[in-house]
Amino acid sequence: MNRATEPDAAAGALECRGLAVGRGSVPVVEDIELSVSKGGLLAVLGASGSGKTTLLDTIAGFIPPLRGEVRLGGRLASDPQRCEPPEHRSVGVVFQHYALWPHMSVLDIVGYPVRRAGRGRSEARAQAASLLERLSVGALAHRRPAELSGGEQQRVALARALARRPALFLFDEPTAHLDAPLRAVVLDEVARHRAESGAAAVYATHDAAEALAIADLVAVVDRGRLVQVGPPLAVYQCPADLPTALLTGPACVLDAAARPLTDGTAEVTIGGATALVACAADDFGSQPAPRLLVRPDWVALDGPFDAVAARVRFRGPHTDYALDTPAGRLDLRVTGPPRHAVGDRLTWSLSRIWPLPGPASAAEAPPTGADVFPTETPADIVQ
Amino acid sequence: MAGRTAVRAGAALVAAGLLAALAGAPLVELARIAAERGWRAAFDALGSAQNLGALRNTLIVGCAVTAVAVACGAAAALAVERRPLRERRLLRLAVAAPLLTPEFVLGFSWSRAYGPAGFTDRYLHVQLPGLLGPTGIIVALSAHALPLAYLVVAASLATRPVGQLERAAHASGAGTLTVLRTITLPLLRTPLLAAAALVFVTCVNSFAIPEVLGTPAGFSTMSTLVYDDLNLSADPDAFRQLAAVALTMAALVLVVIGAADVVLGGPQTAEAAGRVTSTPSAVARRSRTATWTPRVLVTAFALFAAAIPLVVLAADAITRAPGLSPAPSHWTLANFSAAMAGETVPALARSLALAAAAAVLIPAMSLAVVATGPRVRGPLGTAVTLAYAIPGSALAVGVLIAYGRWFVGSALIILIAYAGKLWALGHRPVAAAAARLDPALTRAARASGAGPLTAWRAATLPGLAPALAAGGALVLIFASHELTMSSILYGPGTQTLAVVVLNQQQLGQTGPTSALALVLGIPPLLAGLALAHGRRTAAAANATSRRPTTAAIPVTAGTA
Repeated sequence: MNRATEPDAAAGALECRGLAVGRGSVPVVEDIELSVSKGGLLAVLGASGSGKTTLLDTIAGFIPPLRGEVRLGGRLASDPQRCEPPEHRSVGVVFQHYALWPHMSVLDIVGYPVRRAGRGRSEARAQAASLLERLSVGALAHRRPAELSGGEQQRVALARALARRPALFLFDEPTAHLDAPLRAVVLDEVARHRAESGAAAVYATHDAAEALAIADLVAVVDRGRLVQVGPPLAVYQCPADLPTALLTGPACVLDAAARPLTDGTAEVTIGGATALVACAADDFGSQPAPRLLVRPDWVALDGPFDAVAARVRFRGPHTDYALDTPAGRLDLRVTGPPRHAVGDRLTWSLSRIWPLPGPASAAEAPPTGADVFPTETPADIVQ
Repeated sequence: MAGRTAVRAGAALVAAGLLAALAGAPLVELARIAAERGWRAAFDALGSAQNLGALRNTLIVGCAVTAVAVACGAAAALAVERRPLRERRLLRLAVAAPLLTPEFVLGFSWSRAYGPAGFTDRYLHVQLPGLLGPTGIIVALSAHALPLAYLVVAASLATRPVGQLERAAHASGAGTLTVLRTITLPLLRTPLLAAAALVFVTCVNSFAIPEVLGTPAGFSTMSTLVYDDLNLSADPDAFRQLAAVALTMAALVLVVIGAADVVLGGPQTAEAAGRVTSTPSAVARRSRTATWTPRVLVTAFALFAAAIPLVVLAADAITRAPGLSPAPSHWTLANFSAAMAGETVPALARSLALAAAAAVLIPAMSLAVVATGPRVRGPLGTAVTLAYAIPGSALAVGVLIAYGRWFVGSALIILIAYAGKLWALGHRPVAAAAARLDPALTRAARASGAGPLTAWRAATLPGLAPALAAGGALVLIFASHELTMSSILYGPGTQTLAVVVLNQQQLGQTGPTSALALVLGIPPLLAGLALAHGRRTAAAANATSRRPTTAAIPVTAGTA
């Protein structure tokens, strides 16, 4: 479904160069350098308020940039002087709150982009009906948005974006209001349609698991600036700094002595015990005792190091432990029911570490004592 | 629970009784007098050339003003409501200024500013062509009613993510005009119709502007006809004819409102309130034109419609004789002392007393409606709103027929008319606040050990208090300068301030009239601005709380 009108076949689907966007003259988003190849999926990962929506609005053409430029399919679309209106760009947008027109039927909503492309009403309705059928919501064609559930609205919004047949999809947190099972369905649909149409996509989300699962490339945004761009695995294993690490998944920080070796491992010493663990960095800079980032899946029970179980929570398929180690609080997740009780002495091992650059500061330390796993239930608090 | 049922039944009885007494009985009495000699005679009486002319004029003015005010008000709302918050507030107040100026003051100051021998005539040798006559009435009433349409549309824009929905259309390939045609206007269908109904009601109700600008040109509408007939004749036949005209007026408005209600009652009202999110207002493509056009046009409108006429009025008021230039050497306070002589000061006191009484009475009446419980509250509220739609002249004649014999020489009869007509102004804020109240608050109070009365006082009343105060303030503002009804109901020794000003204007005393018009007009303007400010603060405080569905909220929006 790529448009044949693109001037440069080798150009990427989207390029942002030195992009700064703001309200008034104060930039909300700055120094954005991004490129998405044809058929690629870029996840923009950031907390709410970090500027994801502003960035997407700029790419769609709703806001002109203060500086820099946006190129779509190699063609200049926005710079501070000239901002091509969204209706002339080949973009399909799925809005955060879906933005379905309340006065239209689902069929007319999905047929709207077809009508705007110059087709007649009956053809638009026929195309809309077949799109809805493919998304298995054909039965909803004659309803109004107010009569749809959240998931149904989501699919209709997706169908409307598909009906535009764009070269670039923009998703603004489309699953933010859906529960987990529905998210999985929607993500599968996005993946399938992108594969079919060959279009590129930018997917803004605050959910690390979602971003890592679907993207070819993850761009981490923090307070309006791009802090890291890379493949999902790289962003997860080698985050640029602590805030990025916390954005891209659960993480703990240990204060332990470590010595890098040249073969991709490092020697870690905690409480008198020493072990060799995987480490992608071979140079820790000048710091003698860097802070070591540890993901919960890099830790296992039983091993050379000692600890006391500070908290044990059974969560069904797995059990979350919080350990008090000589190097600080450590979280880990183990499949199966609990094997230890609170207060038990136990041993553990480490399979990988990542040294965090920069000096330690109180502001960016992870909240001690709090659970790195996000699901805090009232029962936990009562406990 | 039995206690609660009894309270609700009692409240329903009180509210329904008040409605019957304040709106029902006057209309029934009108019909009875009009049809005293049979309906056929009533129709014949109505068919006189004068009456038909007034009916035609009322329809022409009503339709023209509705078209102009709704089109311009909606366009202004669409342009201004997208500006950044700070600028939007200023522009909103500028748009609202002509509505906050009492109708008489607006009409009179326009005639002084733009009419023959007026300010522009004397110094620039330009007159607004046709100011005295239908054109002038339509232009002045449009300026007065435009803010109503603006506020209704703006209120609806605030409760819907219209910007988001328009973006979605742009992203689907629609250009600006297509978006307006296929998205914006269909989305605003309900508020546009509500605004049209409200503006039409206001036009038919309007008395001061047609009286000041139309009567010199021999152009009469139904409201001025009722006033003139009542002043000129005491003959029972003429009175029957008058009742027939008043009844036709009421019927005209109720038919229009009914039709609008039928259309509004369609599938649109069933639509969900839409997701109101805290998405920052769209800073859409900013072009210089988009930034400056609304600023320039709104400022020009406020200057032309309110600021210049009021300044001219002030200049007139402090100048020694009409026609003199307002130079410092011609300044005097004699107009004010002349204006304050005779009946004026007692009339001022009377107006304030009547307004204060209405401002206390009406919130209490609204409380009775709210206390009837969620199921009866809605229909009763609709009835209260319909009472507002009855044109003031018709209601006043009805009240005169129904209660005149018991209140000879008493200003209380004016209070009865105020209570019926202005009830809706006080009721709407209270009803909105009651709909917002979370019933769990009272239940929580009960579960914490409070009795029904204590729980009501602790959990319900504090939630309603700001709305009761706002409703009372609105009633106070409108009652203090009300003219249409008091000009019909006053007698010797029961004039209101507005009636004194009207009589002075009709005697041709320009200076004192200007002075009194200032006294009449400036306080409502300032109070209205203050109230708008207070509401804004309250709205900002409530910004995070849920808003009620705003299907058609003409009355509150119209008087905010």
